[in-house]
Amino acid sequence: MRIATALGYQAAITNLQTRQEQLSEAQERLSSGKRVARASDDPSAAARAERALATVTRSEAGQRALEASRTAMQLTDTALGDAGELLQQAREHVVAAGNASYSDAERRTLAAALRGLRTQLLAVANRSDGAGNHLFGGQGSTSAPFVDAPGGVQYVGTTGTMRAATDIELPVSIDGQVVWLQAPNPSGPPISVFDVLDRTIADLETAGRTSAQIDTGVRASLGELDAAAGNLLAWRARTGESLHRADSLEDRLADVKLEAQHERSRAEDLDMVQAISEFQSRQTGYDAALKTYSMVQRMSLFDYLRS
Amino acid sequence: MGSSALMSIGMKTMVASYSLLQTTGHNIANANVEGYSRQRVELATAQGQFTGAGFFGKGVDVTTVARLHDALIAREAVAANSTARMDETRLNQLKLLETVFRHGEQGIGHAAGQMLNAMVDLASRPADAASRQVVLARAAELANRFVHAAKEFDTLQRGVSHELQSSVAEINQLAANIADTNARITAVAGLGQPPNDLLDERDRLIGRLSALIQVTTIAAEDGSMSVFAAGGQYLVLATRAEELRAVPDQTDPARTGIAIVEGGTERQLDDRLITGGSVAGLLRFQNHDLREAGALIGRLAAAVAGAVNRQQQLGVNLYQPFNTVPAEPFFRVGDPRAVPAQSNQRDPNGLFVSSVALTINDPAALQASEYRFRRDPGGVPGLFELTRLSDGLVRTVVSGDQVDGFTIDVGVPEPALTDSFRLQPVSGAAAGMRLLLDDVRDIAAASALVATAVPAATGTVGVDALRMLSPPPFPADRIRITFTTDTGDYTWERIDAGTNNVLDSGNGVWQAGGPIPAPPVDLNGFELTLLGVPRTGDLIRIDPADANNFSQNNGNALALAELRDAAIVGGTTVTEAYAGAIANVGVRVQGAKSTAQISGAMAEQAERARSAVSGVNLDEEAARLIQYQQSYQAAAKVLQVAQTVFDLLLETAGR
Repeated sequence: MRIATALGYQAAITNLQTRQEQLSEAQERLSSGKRVARASDDPSAAARAERALATVTRSEAGQRALEASRTAMQLTDTALGDAGELLQQAREHVVAAGNASYSDAERRTLAAALRGLRTQLLAVANRSDGAGNHLFGGQGSTSAPFVDAPGGVQYVGTTGTMRAATDIELPVSIDGQVVWLQAPNPSGPPISVFDVLDRTIADLETAGRTSAQIDTGVRASLGELDAAAGNLLAWRARTGESLHRADSLEDRLADVKLEAQHERSRAEDLDMVQAISEFQSRQTGYDAALKTYSMVQRMSLFDYLRS
Repeated sequence: MGSSALMSIGMKTMVASYSLLQTTGHNIANANVEGYSRQRVELATAQGQFTGAGFFGKGVDVTTVARLHDALIAREAVAANSTARMDETRLNQLKLLETVFRHGEQGIGHAAGQMLNAMVDLASRPADAASRQVVLARAAELANRFVHAAKEFDTLQRGVSHELQSSVAEINQLAANIADTNARITAVAGLGQPPNDLLDERDRLIGRLSALIQVTTIAAEDGSMSVFAAGGQYLVLATRAEELRAVPDQTDPARTGIAIVEGGTERQLDDRLITGGSVAGLLRFQNHDLREAGALIGRLAAAVAGAVNRQQQLGVNLYQPFNTVPAEPFFRVGDPRAVPAQSNQRDPNGLFVSSVALTINDPAALQASEYRFRRDPGGVPGLFELTRLSDGLVRTVVSGDQVDGFTIDVGVPEPALTDSFRLQPVSGAAAGMRLLLDDVRDIAAASALVATAVPAATGTVGVDALRMLSPPPFPADRIRITFTTDTGDYTWERIDAGTNNVLDSGNGVWQAGGPIPAPPVDLNGFELTLLGVPRTGDLIRIDPADANNFSQNNGNALALAELRDAAIVGGTTVTEAYAGAIANVGVRVQGAKSTAQISGAMAEQAERARSAVSGVNLDEEAARLIQYQQSYQAAAKVLQVAQTVFDLLLETAGR
């Protein structure tokens, strides 16, 4: 077959260009570290990487939500612990008030102490997370959820639990009404911590009661205080459980994120060893093309006709 | 028989050798001219002269200079090159298109995911202005990316239109040149010898024309060659060239079509008949690839905006007093379009007589496609034929029908039988996408209703989520759901919040994992899912959100965050839909690449075959040069001998 000289040159030039292009692509991949720079490099890998990236960002959002819940629940746990201690002190005062040898004046002193504890408890119930969220605000409370109104402390937040946008239920604030004002009472209506204290204080401030009246009053107050403390403890257990759930979710989210990052990397990142070997082989190819060009194209019959 | 015969043979040999040398020189001179066909001098032995002693040869004659050309192989090469140019042009455009579908952090999918992820932070801190600001910023970024993608599509479209215009100008110039060359060839046809270089010139012009638009040729007796394009359309008839024009497309004036001018009027050529050349590649890219890519992105924009808007408008924004300022939609998107064909009937003022209007009803059901809409071919009044262009699905519809998430309303009077419309429900959506919210208070993070579980002493029921499916019909009323058995039976009551009177009541059954109420029952626009298993006596209260505390309510933010998992784009999630779009375009480019490689290799092969016949090999010419030089030298020797013989004769005679 006749080889047209011009076409021979053209083919050689095209060949050189192709090899140079391939070499430059291999170099681009090596320097960027990406095997899939464009979707057409590997469409299904590009789609996989896209899904993996969404999983990564989603896990990060989940971690932030979880952190919000954890912060709130840790603060709630501390608040409930503080409340437990305050109630324990209150209980000791009430037990002391049952002492038959105490005078009305001494009982008034105890009542004053209880009043101080009540103020502290109300402050605990109205604690916020420092960012304007009330720990016991339930499904929303713009101001302090517990209000000291005539007739007792009232709940002005929205009842229910506010949850974070996580896959499993994690609260960011809990229902203050059921924690503080509605302790379960098997023998009557639900118990409000503040009502018990108010009534006890009123009792202790009443002068001239008989020791039998005092004894009955103290027994009733103690029973109700124990029920209220039990409720706080039960809720503390629930916040602990929620923290535990947050921990396990955190582990899971971290695993999911790591796996997604690996998946993304597997889908679009370069295998360096393979890439370097490919680069070298292309370099060799380009080198060979240059050499054959310079050797073959130099040969011409005209060279032998110079004489 | 004298010495003049030898002299004559010597002369003829010299002439022949010289013409051989001359042609070889011509070949060498044109070795690098594209499309040059090697020439060869055809020699013939001069007929001998009869004498009593037999026939004596009279030397050699030059009969012609032939062009080494195989019409069939040449035509193959031209056709293969035409196809290769088409595939290459389309591939180059597709590579540009691919860059619009960025993946990873730069992509639209990531922006959409991040906007919904911002809802998660909003749910953790619904009143926090910073969380709300992040939502707005992410939403603005998403809208920007859609608009930017649409602008890139526009730029590509403008590039295609521009390139088609310059291609058409070039085609017209080439056609005129071919007609002109035809005239020059027919003028010298009477001379009886082939005008080799003119023929080469014409082949070269046809080759260049084919690279732009595939043509077929027919040679006439007089040596002229007629050229046809697009399924038998004359471009060059002997010495007359027709004119092509780049015109706004009949079915969609935003695109460019190719028309031929016949008697002063333009007639658009069917682009399916233009089967090769860069023009075919451009048309194919414009009418299929670009259009489908635009619909993919447009559908995504319309579906995401639709889903987010819907959920936003079911929520309550932060304006006081509670639930009095309706929640504005997040986004606006470009309107659906029904583009009338340019040939549709017009009134005396030039306005179209018939019209079609589209309305989006269900953004989640939209398809990434355009549609052809015309009267039912059977001619039945009121019936229309709707063809989905992405897969060719044909449906018969009437005015008011809802198809693929949009409603078609046909205006009065009814379109004529010859009228047709191009329906683009989503193609313009991305270009017109804007964030409508500008105040952090606009975001409806709160829910109009809140649910509270009040478990009985032994119960463990909790509220998983309360989703609003539609605006509550009784926004001020309270709903009470009380479980009456341990197997999910419940009664419900709707209570007036002021008087506590029971306004309505009923009962239902909860299925594990299922919602309350079970569809299609609607208690107050909501759907409730539970945590744990309800026991007898468990109570769920669904009340209007507290008007004083709604800034801390995150019910709707949770629902917005849940859109990440919802099938809001044609049956899949946003992430899935965008990943699918990337893969779609990637596969398209990959396919075009391998097609272009194959046709490129075939064109190269065909060109190699052509040049094996017609090309100049300099080594061969060098060898021929020596051969003909020797022949020339031998002829000179013959002349010298003839002269010597003649001189000798004169000398002898002169003695």
